[in-house]
Amino acid sequence: MVERTKRRRRVLLPQRLGQLGGVIVGSMILVAILAPWLSPYDPAERVGRPFSSPSAEHLLGTNDVGQDLLSELIYGTRVSLTVGIIAAAVALLIGTSIGILAGYYPKRLGAFLMRGVDVVLILPFLPLLIVLAAYLGRSLTNTILVIGVLIWAAPARIIRSQVISLRSREYVMASQSMGAPDRWVILRHILPRTALLATGSFVRAVSGAILLEAALSFLGLGDPIQKSWGSILFWAQSRGAFLTPAWKWWVLPPGLAIMLASLGFALIAFAVEERINPKL
Amino acid sequence: MKRLNKQKLMQYAIVLFVAVTLNFMLPRVMPGNPLALIAGVDVGLLTPEQRAQIIEDVGLNRPILVQYVDYWRSIVTGDFGISYRSDRPIVDLISERLPWTLLITGGALLFSATVGIVTGAWSAWRRGKKSDLSMLTGMIALQSLPSFWLGMLLISIFSVQLGVLPSFGAVAPAADFTGGAYFVDVIKHAALPMLTLSVLSVPGVYLTMRYSMLEVLGEDFIRTARAKGASEMRVLFGHVARNAIAPVVTFLAIRFAFSFGGSVIIETVFSYPGLGRLVFDAVSGRDYPVMQAAFLVFTAAVLLANLVADLLYPILDPRTRSH
Amino acid sequence: MKQNKQRIAVLLTALALVAAACGTTSDTTDGTEAPGATTAGTEGTADTVAPATTAPAPAEPVVVRAAITGGEATLNPYTYVSGFPGWNLMMLQYDALMQFDLNGEPQPWLAETVTPSADLTVWEITLAEGVTWHDGMPVTAADVEFTFSYFVDNAAGRFARDLKGVESVVVDGDLGLTVTLSGPNPSFELAVLADVPILPKHVWEGIESPTDHAYDISTNIGSGPYMLTGFTEDQSYRFAANPDYFRGAPEVDELVVVVFGDDSGPLAAIRSGEIDVIFERVSPEQIELLDAQDPIDISQGPEFTTQMINFDTSKAPFSDLAVRQAMALAIDKSTVVDILYLGAATIGSPGWVHPGKTVYNTDVVAQFDPAAANKLLDDAGYLDTDGDGIREFDGGPMEFEMITNSSDSLRLRIAELTAEMLADVGIKVNVASVETATWEQAVWPGFDINNGRNYDLAAWGWSAPVQANTVRIAELVHSDPGIGFLNLTGFADAEVDAVAEALASETDPAVSEALVKELQVLLAERVPFILLAYPDGAYAYNADVYDGWAFVAGQGIVSKVSLLPEAGRP
Repeated sequence: MVERTKRRRRVLLPQRLGQLGGVIVGSMILVAILAPWLSPYDPAERVGRPFSSPSAEHLLGTNDVGQDLLSELIYGTRVSLTVGIIAAAVALLIGTSIGILAGYYPKRLGAFLMRGVDVVLILPFLPLLIVLAAYLGRSLTNTILVIGVLIWAAPARIIRSQVISLRSREYVMASQSMGAPDRWVILRHILPRTALLATGSFVRAVSGAILLEAALSFLGLGDPIQKSWGSILFWAQSRGAFLTPAWKWWVLPPGLAIMLASLGFALIAFAVEERINPKL
Repeated sequence: MKRLNKQKLMQYAIVLFVAVTLNFMLPRVMPGNPLALIAGVDVGLLTPEQRAQIIEDVGLNRPILVQYVDYWRSIVTGDFGISYRSDRPIVDLISERLPWTLLITGGALLFSATVGIVTGAWSAWRRGKKSDLSMLTGMIALQSLPSFWLGMLLISIFSVQLGVLPSFGAVAPAADFTGGAYFVDVIKHAALPMLTLSVLSVPGVYLTMRYSMLEVLGEDFIRTARAKGASEMRVLFGHVARNAIAPVVTFLAIRFAFSFGGSVIIETVFSYPGLGRLVFDAVSGRDYPVMQAAFLVFTAAVLLANLVADLLYPILDPRTRSH
Repeated sequence: MKQNKQRIAVLLTALALVAAACGTTSDTTDGTEAPGATTAGTEGTADTVAPATTAPAPAEPVVVRAAITGGEATLNPYTYVSGFPGWNLMMLQYDALMQFDLNGEPQPWLAETVTPSADLTVWEITLAEGVTWHDGMPVTAADVEFTFSYFVDNAAGRFARDLKGVESVVVDGDLGLTVTLSGPNPSFELAVLADVPILPKHVWEGIESPTDHAYDISTNIGSGPYMLTGFTEDQSYRFAANPDYFRGAPEVDELVVVVFGDDSGPLAAIRSGEIDVIFERVSPEQIELLDAQDPIDISQGPEFTTQMINFDTSKAPFSDLAVRQAMALAIDKSTVVDILYLGAATIGSPGWVHPGKTVYNTDVVAQFDPAAANKLLDDAGYLDTDGDGIREFDGGPMEFEMITNSSDSLRLRIAELTAEMLADVGIKVNVASVETATWEQAVWPGFDINNGRNYDLAAWGWSAPVQANTVRIAELVHSDPGIGFLNLTGFADAEVDAVAEALASETDPAVSEALVKELQVLLAERVPFILLAYPDGAYAYNADVYDGWAFVAGQGIVSKVSLLPEAGRP
């Protein structure tokens, strides 16, 4: 009896963390969707005196050109989550394809692809970013693409090792020996069984992408025109808010929002991984 | 194992070759050129002939293939020439910067290794309990902090408000400290960047250790040890932690190698004279030779670390060795 | 097993120790030795080189710690990186023949007298007596002659361009020389005499190819009030006062210049008392905040840097004067000054010349009239036919990209604000913020206007020297790339060409002034670019440490004038 309740608790608590993550992410997505109704002002509109402190009209004060910071924060949820989710999806798409191909054809193609992954992992990040930005053009889509391209390599490795182990399973071998085409084996047997793992990598990548977007904004390599959380911090930093009383309403909220979003996704990833490998 | 090594080495050689080639190509496909740095003065005032002369002086007008061969020659001889920006030998620049970068990243890594391994082991041991999960959540939250945000807040608190720690640089400018005082000065300056880096890297070690521990905990020989009545502590540190350390060491080795790229953001926030800032300035100004040399250091460090990790893994993990 | 674990621990500890140890060694070897121990390569002059700190000084030596953002390499005339504050810091160690006074007017300096002929082609110069280099050698006319030819032979852009017009230099004794120009050059004082650092012949004649020479600070021998005694790349510079300076020993005995990674570093450091002055303009929102804090004061004044909007006038629709005029009318420059600069800027004059200059034409004033702008566009046929709020031309919408550099956050805000204003007259502007070198490459490919342009609209700005030299407007607007080598907008107008060219070589001050005023009217009408504002210079300093900072009109406080005793200032 005692043993059993203990085990149940062990399964339940991680799931509860996952639920917590789900609630965080869910409510953020809700905020992102409802942004136009939730935010008191248009974040692009100059609605107050620059650098105002919080007041009844502007709960979080205004920024350096008099835009409402609360509205920026709410709309920032939209941009940051979009960047995070789409960039992670791009990374996952590339990562899973490469991972599956490399795992399924481990000899020539696999070795070739994995050397490619090795190279990508050690490519100098800054010039790559500038080159990509220069040749892809400048837009939010580009930021997303750049982040996606930068972070696909890690998921590719994880997926590959999973596929390698799947490949030696009996049902795969059986299908192969019955002359099933590779494409069929991959779609029928491999892909569904990597889906959960891929989901885990995806959620983790979202959390990484949100942080990366903020870091790029800080270095001036993001797109400060887009009102993401990262760009709010870029402006706070470049207009000296870190050193003035304004840090409480200008710096703290976007930083915490980034942390919260990233945490939410990471918790979900944790729960998913727990699912895959209950031993953990 | 020997056969494997030969094959592995071959693979490493290929990756090195491709990476070096890309390190050469990338700077040159970036928009803009290093003219402003080479001329060292308001470049817009140069006549077209003067510009051409400067480009010729530094050999940038030579065919790309010749420059590429030249880059390989510099790798072999170790002579990377002088920086366009500072007109000083690049070897000097890198050897000045590298120790500072290694000091803060190495220090942070040492700290996070200690804290991460202990807390990771502890957390895994208490797996599923409230304390484990709250620690886990806390660690994931730390990992989710934007680094520059954390750094700026630390400056605001410790330097500006409390005035206890310096906010910039690696040593007090023009202070002429020697001996013990110099050491204290270096540590004081490294404190905030190191703290920031540590906070951000403890969770990685913690998570790796925790996962690895949980893997080991499920294995038969642990159950046997427990059944034999070994004390909790003995099982934890004698059996489990020892067997779980391999992935953590690999993780740390790779992390350490990545620190050879410098940490641009931390070094910028704290105006710390490490490799990251050198690279960032070189990239911003298109200082081709500095970029090439710095990227090479990074590439070599990461490949070496991978190699070392590959070699160490079987030694560290008794389970793979026993096979 | 235990051994393995220990091995790792030992390995890691060793790595950390090595790192720390290397840090120690590297720092002691790269030039931060005690002052007086450096300026190598010269013999038997130790006593003249030794700065005040080694002599028993009666009072506590004044040490000022200054902040800059971004390194300036070894700070000699061939290695300094930026026009500001790189040139200014370099000039602490060197002297020019003339020196800017507080009004920004060149006054005799290293040259005791400067006497031009009436047609400004022959310049008689007599050097001040008893001036020595930091190594004790005398400064002679031969050094000046050497400098003039060295900069031309070795492509030092900023100094070479005008020196090319020097036909001959005749040395007359130790201190006299006669410089003959190939043609009249009214800018000779500004662009050469007050700008070109005089080099010691005995140091530089051995350097064959200065652009790819490997420098250390032993080359930094000048005649200026400060000597570079220590240099740690991208960390700090250490200047010791030259006690034998010919205008009197400087007030500040030691100047330490600290290099920061970004603009917010110095702001934190001056608040925490870790530095004493910021040698960069502090951004407008900081002025009041810093001033309110004791003992920090602000030295503020108008400067000659510019913030402007460029367009490619060689292509449609910007080739159409009506479009350019409408855009100029649609942008409210006073909003830019009020909102973004919080008033700490001068409103841009459409005639380029700063209103603080004596040659400013008071009839030329910035206009803001969106209604007139709309009418101009309507009349010229740029209509919004599909009712989406954006006008059309050539079958497409009037929608353009405005490129700006992300490292200048205020300029980015300028771009956003102007985009907002242009939207009100039916021109849609998408702001694109890119990294600096990418932005330069688009606006000024290869820094050579012969390479054309690669942008529609750009937020741009020039450094102070471009504005300081009013007779040189031709550089910005002349259609011949040889003369208008800074004409980034591809502007071509025969009338403007004629007036600008006449101005560049006019030797009669009265005629010159009339031409400048005429040109301002022309430029305001033909709109080669849209000038938005001349931001003020504002410098924060700790008044308890040193408060002798002098604001040179148009250029700010970073100059030797700030550091010299009252009697020694020009």
